[in-house]
Amino acid sequence: MPSKPLTLKFLDLASILAMVISTYLALVFAPQEVVMGNAQRIFYFHIGTAWVAMLGFILAALGGIIYLITKDLKWDRFELAAVEVSALFFLITICLGAIWARPVWNTWWTWDVRLTTAAVTELVFIAYLMLRQGLEDPEKRARFGAVYTLLGGLSVPVTFMVIRLFRTIHPVVVGSPSAEAQGGFNMDDRMVATFLFALVAFTIVFIDLFWHRVRLGALEEKVEQQKLKASL
Amino acid sequence: MLLQATPDTTGYMIAGYALTFIAMGIYIFSLSIRAANLKRDLETLEMLEAEERAKQK
Amino acid sequence: MTESTRPPAPSFSKAVLAIVRKDLSAELRSRELLSAMLVFALLVILIFNFALELDVKVRETVTAGVLWTTFAFAGTLGLNRSMSVEKDRGCLDGLLLAPVDRSAIYFGKALSNLIFMLIVEAFTLPVYSLLYNVNLFQPGLLLVVLLGSIGYIAVGTLLATMAVQTRTRDVMLPILLFPIVLPVLLASVKASAGFLNGLDFAEISGALNLLIAYDLIFIAVPLMLFEYVVEE
Repeated sequence: MPSKPLTLKFLDLASILAMVISTYLALVFAPQEVVMGNAQRIFYFHIGTAWVAMLGFILAALGGIIYLITKDLKWDRFELAAVEVSALFFLITICLGAIWARPVWNTWWTWDVRLTTAAVTELVFIAYLMLRQGLEDPEKRARFGAVYTLLGGLSVPVTFMVIRLFRTIHPVVVGSPSAEAQGGFNMDDRMVATFLFALVAFTIVFIDLFWHRVRLGALEEKVEQQKLKASL
Repeated sequence: MLLQATPDTTGYMIAGYALTFIAMGIYIFSLSIRAANLKRDLETLEMLEAEERAKQK
Repeated sequence: MTESTRPPAPSFSKAVLAIVRKDLSAELRSRELLSAMLVFALLVILIFNFALELDVKVRETVTAGVLWTTFAFAGTLGLNRSMSVEKDRGCLDGLLLAPVDRSAIYFGKALSNLIFMLIVEAFTLPVYSLLYNVNLFQPGLLLVVLLGSIGYIAVGTLLATMAVQTRTRDVMLPILLFPIVLPVLLASVKASAGFLNGLDFAEISGALNLLIAYDLIFIAVPLMLFEYVVEE
């Protein structure tokens, strides 16, 4: 494995710095929300992780499509990294949502559109990882993985629309008249700044983790090739 | 709910932030463990290959 | 497959029909797939009867859910069996050697799977009607059953082809299939319940439209992807 590129080292530092600043902004700089109290501060990380989890979901489906066209294992590593990191962030998003919902909605979990869709996406990712575990041949594993991410990428939006047919209580935080009653709130300037910074910070962290996972994938492939060579 | 004083929900906030950092920490730890294991495997395999070559000569 | 031996390569519809005829006549001889599905469906209904205490009041609200859960479970059983038979007896390899389009093989397998599923449903519905004194023979409900089964089988055939090639083949299919097919099941339950409770068509049309959209997407996409899950 080639030694760590300078850009990645820089990105590591940037991620740590961005997380520190983002945490400071969210916990100290942003004013306390009056109705929900300090629990509202979870919102900044909740949206931050949700955004990068979505990003990873889209990247995984794209990686799948490109792999099926090019048949280059590089894109399989890309797709796997996107799934794994996205699964991590979806998990955090779901847990943060539950922790936030407990004081605000008085329940850990509701079968709301976004919550349920996030949970289903997480299950799609777990199924994807299990599918890969059950396949030995790297080329076949890549092909099946790509097919599955594509199916997931198509089905999850439909799941979202279907569940929306049922009633939802998830707040539409910005610009909905009934939002306030359900746990939405008006954001003042400092809150907006904190919110936007959290988006940027998690994007940096996502790219960093994603890159590391892609490099780990490259290493995995190298070991597999060596093993194949040794068995001959 | 609107007329009440701001409730103290700091505990939930701390739990949320702790969870985020712990989860990311575990993931980073697992990445580094997996990388270390793979590097060790690779070294062993390369060593075996070198021995094999030496025998053939 | 007498037709397919005649050069040149048989037309698409001929190849599809040949596969369907092969599956049906094999099933007519052994009857192992259908009998397993049917007995299983009955058992699921029996279990639900005791688990949910299906008295008159409960029945009104849960009938749609019980039916679709039964179909989904019996469906995985059938799909798994139908594809692992192909894999074990090397039929899939034989089919792949035949000079027919890959999508014709997919279409043929999906069509025979759909026929099996519809037979099971045609048996389960009257039994349920009889046992619980509910009239399930409404044109709207039958349409939903057809549409839901098409979507379920379209994805299921593709995923079962993948699942039987993994190391953990027997447990893999439901794990892969359910998160992807969830929108079909949800929309079907919603539409079925709508018809059973005599709701206005306007209230059901949303679920029906989604069901049709899902069917179209998930016939077209697996048709394109099938070649990636069978090539060696």
